[in-house]
Amino acid sequence: MFLVLMGFGFAPAAHASAARVVSLNLCTDQMLVLLAPEKIAALSPLARDLALSFVAPQAAHLPVVRASAEAVLELRPDLVLAAPYGAQTTLALLQQERVPVLRIALPHDFAGIRQMTRLLAATLGVPQRGEVLLAAMDARLNRLPHPDHELRALVWEPRGLTAGPGTLMDAVLRAAGLNNGSDGSRESLETLLRHPPDVLVVQTASAYPSIATSLLDHPALAGVARREIPPALTICAGPFSAEAAALLAR
Amino acid sequence: MIRWLALLLAVLATISLFIGDGTFALPDGLILWQLRVPRTLLGMLVGGGLGLSGAVLQGALRNPLADPGLLGITGTAGLGAVIAFYWGLAATFAPALPAGGLLGAGIGAAFLLGFAGRAPSGPSLILAGVAVSAIASALLALALTLAPNPFALTEITFWLMGGLGDRPLWQVALAAPAILLGGALLLSLGRGLDALSLGEDTARSLGVPVTRTLQLAAVGTAFAVGTGAAVAGSIGFVGLVVPHLLRPWLGERPGALLPAAPLAGAALLLTADMLVRLAPMLLPLSAAPPVGVLTALLGAPFLVAIARRSAP
Repeated sequence: MFLVLMGFGFAPAAHASAARVVSLNLCTDQMLVLLAPEKIAALSPLARDLALSFVAPQAAHLPVVRASAEAVLELRPDLVLAAPYGAQTTLALLQQERVPVLRIALPHDFAGIRQMTRLLAATLGVPQRGEVLLAAMDARLNRLPHPDHELRALVWEPRGLTAGPGTLMDAVLRAAGLNNGSDGSRESLETLLRHPPDVLVVQTASAYPSIATSLLDHPALAGVARREIPPALTICAGPFSAEAAALLAR
Repeated sequence: MIRWLALLLAVLATISLFIGDGTFALPDGLILWQLRVPRTLLGMLVGGGLGLSGAVLQGALRNPLADPGLLGITGTAGLGAVIAFYWGLAATFAPALPAGGLLGAGIGAAFLLGFAGRAPSGPSLILAGVAVSAIASALLALALTLAPNPFALTEITFWLMGGLGDRPLWQVALAAPAILLGGALLLSLGRGLDALSLGEDTARSLGVPVTRTLQLAAVGTAFAVGTGAAVAGSIGFVGLVVPHLLRPWLGERPGALLPAAPLAGAALLLTADMLVRLAPMLLPLSAAPPVGVLTALLGAPFLVAIARRSAP
């Protein structure tokens, strides 16, 4: 029975009639708001966070639910959207109660974004809306200027982490015509300054400081060109990832 | 002795400028002036403040275990700095960070002074310090849990263990005046501390204002370690160890230790920081460990040895 339900969950269009959809992950929250806002039974609370969520303004008026099996069951959902990680014990409980659960693998490039958007649009019974979103994304990407010589860019995250090959930010950099200077290893402030990139890509500073995020504003970095991206555009992959590329391609 | 310590410190500070992240060489101007000079200066200032206040506290309280870390003063300083930093106060008004550390250290020192006045026996004072320290670290963990930035909680290691890396020069400059002022105040207490070592009644009969000397020791300690802990976290054991390292050379008289203590403290912390920076080059480590880890690993056995020796 369990296996049947799992397979059932992955068949597109099987839930086209689903009228009450719950999302328990920030990334599926955003896709659900973009594709089928009228079917939302609840989103995860992070969907309303202006710093993290691209759809925060819309989500402010939509119901949210914590990832607790009891709270989700009370909403009587026809479909629960989630990621392959996080809240897995809750999801297992929901599946025991025969609630269909769809775990969406989160993509790391634009081809993956197209695939995920089509899968979700079909699952929710709104394939044409998925195509509209993707057409807008591709139009945005095609309008981006492509410089003749590529600049070496480095995505520098708090605690010295960098976005190496195979990450979403790597795909965003390439879409913006930038060369990713990271091999995925950590960069301390000193090693970064020893070989400074042409462009330093950092997250827009959050409203409240920490030592990790303050390091991005160290005075020694004053001479390095930087471009800032709001984290809401980069945490999850989606049609809005084109906006992140547009911010970098200047 | 002073001259030799000053020379040693100058040599250590010079070597410190050569030690980089994975390299041993003098870097270009930017890295030198924006990263290595601030780190070296911060290590000397913080170590000097800790060493000197350790010597003063051990003399003033006539207790060989007295140390700004064990007595909780650096802990309350860190708590004050955390409250000023994570809610954005220091972002809008930079001096709020050292001021928060200073205020926290002042509260910790004032509590211990009040306690020392009523129950002057050695062990109970250390216990009171341990209690202050425990409350400070509990409130620190609470504050970091409630802090609005998602990275705050992961930074508890920095506040409890300390670190000298990547602090901008302007933060070092903001911390320095209070450390130097507190240091000057503490250095002036030598004669009073010498008299106090003969007992409070004898000191009084020699015309030494005992209460005032203790008050100045507390205020001076708050200044000498408060702003340092706001910028470099709570680095432990430097203040405990330094006076014990100096006594075989300079004798038991507290006044004789004072001029040497800041130099020895600065040299000790600078050495510890250089060792943690060299560690990733010699050991399979991905990053330098916090400097307080090393001072604690070296200092804690020292504490056991002192406690054993002074046990009745």
